Amino acid sequence: MTLLSVEDLHTHFISRDLDNQIRVARALNGVSFTLEAGQVLGLVGETGAGKSLTATSIMGLLRPPARVVGGRALFQGQDLLAMPEAQVNALRGRDIALVVQSPKSSLDPLTRIGNQLIRIHRAHRQVSERAARDRAVEMLASLGIPDPARRMAAWPHELSGGMAQRVLIALALMNEPRLLIADEPTTGLDVTVQAQILDLLRDLVRRTGIGAMVITHDLGVVAHYCDAMAVMYAGAIVESGPVRRVFASPSHPYTANLIGATPERLQLGAARTVGGPPPNLFRLPEGCAYRDRCPRAGADCAQPPPDVALGQGHVARCHRVAA
Amino acid sequence: MSATVAAPPRWALRIAGITRRSPTLAIGAAILLGFALMAILAPWLTPYDPVLAQPRNVLAPPGGAHPFGTDGNGMDVLSRVIAGAGWAFGIAIPAVLVGLLAGVPLGLYTGYRGGWPDEIMMRGFDALRVFPSIILALAVVAAAGPSLLNVVLVIGFLDSPVFARVVRAEVIALRGSTFVESAVAAGNPTWRILFVHILPNAIQGAMAQTAVRAAWAVRISATLAFLGVGIQPPTPEWGAMIRQGAEYLVTGQWWVGIFPGLALILMVLGLNMLGDGMQDMLDPRRKAATR
Amino acid sequence: MTPVLQVEDLRKHFPAQGGRIVHAVNGVSFSINPGETLGVVGESGSGKSTIGRAVIRLLKPTAGRVRFQGQDITHLPESACRRLRAEMQMVFQDPWSALNPRIRIGALIAEPLLLHTKLSRAERRDAAEDLAQRVRLTPELLTRFPAELSGGQLQRVCIARAIATRPKLIVLDEPTSSLDLSVRAGILDLLATLKAETGAAMMFISHDLGTVKLISDRIMVLYLGGVVEYAPAAQVFAQPAHPYSQALMSAHLPADPEAVLRRHVLEGEIPSPIALPPGCHFASRCPVAAPACSTMAPELRAVRGEATHQAACLRIAEGANLIPEVTHG
Repeated sequence: MTLLSVEDLHTHFISRDLDNQIRVARALNGVSFTLEAGQVLGLVGETGAGKSLTATSIMGLLRPPARVVGGRALFQGQDLLAMPEAQVNALRGRDIALVVQSPKSSLDPLTRIGNQLIRIHRAHRQVSERAARDRAVEMLASLGIPDPARRMAAWPHELSGGMAQRVLIALALMNEPRLLIADEPTTGLDVTVQAQILDLLRDLVRRTGIGAMVITHDLGVVAHYCDAMAVMYAGAIVESGPVRRVFASPSHPYTANLIGATPERLQLGAARTVGGPPPNLFRLPEGCAYRDRCPRAGADCAQPPPDVALGQGHVARCHRVAA
Repeated sequence: MSATVAAPPRWALRIAGITRRSPTLAIGAAILLGFALMAILAPWLTPYDPVLAQPRNVLAPPGGAHPFGTDGNGMDVLSRVIAGAGWAFGIAIPAVLVGLLAGVPLGLYTGYRGGWPDEIMMRGFDALRVFPSIILALAVVAAAGPSLLNVVLVIGFLDSPVFARVVRAEVIALRGSTFVESAVAAGNPTWRILFVHILPNAIQGAMAQTAVRAAWAVRISATLAFLGVGIQPPTPEWGAMIRQGAEYLVTGQWWVGIFPGLALILMVLGLNMLGDGMQDMLDPRRKAATR
Repeated sequence: MTPVLQVEDLRKHFPAQGGRIVHAVNGVSFSINPGETLGVVGESGSGKSTIGRAVIRLLKPTAGRVRFQGQDITHLPESACRRLRAEMQMVFQDPWSALNPRIRIGALIAEPLLLHTKLSRAERRDAAEDLAQRVRLTPELLTRFPAELSGGQLQRVCIARAIATRPKLIVLDEPTSSLDLSVRAGILDLLATLKAETGAAMMFISHDLGTVKLISDRIMVLYLGGVVEYAPAAQVFAQPAHPYSQALMSAHLPADPEAVLRRHVLEGEIPSPIALPPGCHFASRCPVAAPACSTMAPELRAVRGEATHQAACLRIAEGANLIPEVTHG
């Protein structure tokens, strides 16, 4: 079942410069992907590719000067971008949950974690304080937090990074969401802690059949914890498909370059296209945004590249890929 | 025959952009620009010599040959108000420079060094704060004599703790930053770290304070003159003129004191607006909030 | 051959609130030979950055001995250290904040030459151009300010600064951690080339096992300010002897979906460096700990009689150091 379907999403940053000229940064340029229930989708890309912006655009959490200027985001068939604000608000935190980066700064520092869990539950459900508390303890326990009843009284600053991230996931899961979006859930955590958090996320998806989107720059996380992946470059998805297929035969030159740059495949001293600075969103090239640094670019790349289907859901947006 | 509208020049667009982002700054700057022009062009603008006494034309009301009237010595009030702008700048600018020269190196050193020098400086500043600065200024100028140099030095030194504090806070924030550590690792001696690496990054806050401190300097110098210990009459200093005018206020010759008073208010207002605007533009947090 | 760096029983304590003491580094010994790259891995709180700073005297060691090219620099006054900085340099993690934002790139690259050589202004400018070329930066960047460069370019500037005075030792503290994957590859490439060209010894500090594996000759694994394992790079990855190294290696996620993971999930939290437990600091989380482990502090011993492969674990002698295989997911 398709849980989330994003179609041709465009987000721009529109601002005025000191000299009063209007400047437009085209941050998202036609993002399309689908997420199935029971699946973990990895959204990968480098700095400035628009990964987090995709999540905030879908969730309706953009703040000026960023603005969605086109596209649809269908959650269980309903367009989140066309909904009235109140309706989106009701969905957020209940059916759709977001786990953000930097767990420490995402928890209310002046509220005990138990009360934060109870608060979010009762904001969306008509339940007694008692029932909410029981659910919170249960949730902490299921996330492998030792002595959950006592931890309910802990303050956010008393938690380690890994513990805070678990509490944040607990907050996200309190209302049994259908869709979980995790933005860099393990960045900044130690590898041994990272493994615990990711195990937890994957088990959760397997057990409850929800859909999860993991935003990350770490291809190791994608390789081992995601079912499908979508690779972003300059605000567009250049390649998507099942993880094993994409790793085995990366078809877009950017994906190939990215996977080739992982320490596992990197040959030091071998000739390679050197990674450049993030693309300038104010002046993206016409046609394929990657064409100015693509080793295989030709004249036809000045035209918008087609989405080429390569079978089994593997799609690459490139002129050079043969179906 | 094509009638193309010429695009406005870049500098004009820039001014328009700044005005839109911080109208306060633009208005303040415009007021000060007016006073600066007044001070520079004073020799051509003043209808009379500002210290020319006309004993037969004492306390003439505004109008006719004397738009602002004349004072008790028969001097033209308009000319004196115009000339007073030069005195105000002549005190405020050197005073702020003295404040910067004394305060910035102090804040730079104590902030970087920390420990007891820092402790002593901060306690010293706290002690100074116990007395209202006007009392201190009054005492020092009364003791040292009311020359322009003394007024400038006293105001400057009283200003220096403000600059020292601002710079010190910046330095403490920068002291642990990676680029300073990187400068140490490269083998920079301490003086180079302080003046080449930290100072250019720590001075912004102090610079943003300059306009506000200049406003304070103008006020203090006028107060000193009003109390009779600052610049002495018949020098066309606004504070001194207000003091003179105060005597005539009760007898109905309001113009002697009111016009220099208005000039003083306007200049202090302009400097404060400029200062507020500068802090908005230079402080990234406030900048984000005003956008 | 004298090692470039010899460290014996290095300790570094920091004062904490309430008169308590943070034991950041607790008796670390190692050496680095000319041209060798030592990889230092460990999680947060392992003391790896502190060690990196202490060996080039950006920090003053609390105890122990640091010898640089045979000279004891442990207690050298700062003025004497300053002259030595021409021969020991450092590259920092975050290139965006490691360069003075108000100085042009050319002057930043030439700064070590200004400080440590008698070259004229023109000679320094030429040298800066040469250095820029060696780190693959185009000359027109030399007149720019740091804010105008990308992270990868900035890290190249930092590396150019670090090699300007032909140092004997370069400490690299997570030099690629904050960079994007494709940029990271370019920097690693450059470091490998420079290592061959300059013959400088490197201390490569990182939490990214994949990167460390790629560039290091030997690897030192740290836990809570102590060395738990010290061995040639290939051996640490193939046959980690210390249970912590095993857990660390197993938590590493290679960017290859076909790679099989051996998962050893660690329970519990890292103890506080303020109140270190007695005995082996890892005992509280170790799946194979014996009662003796929480009383007796283990020392680095050769593993399987190989002098180059050392680990600090009591259980090795009994052959009980391997965490049993757990099949997972």
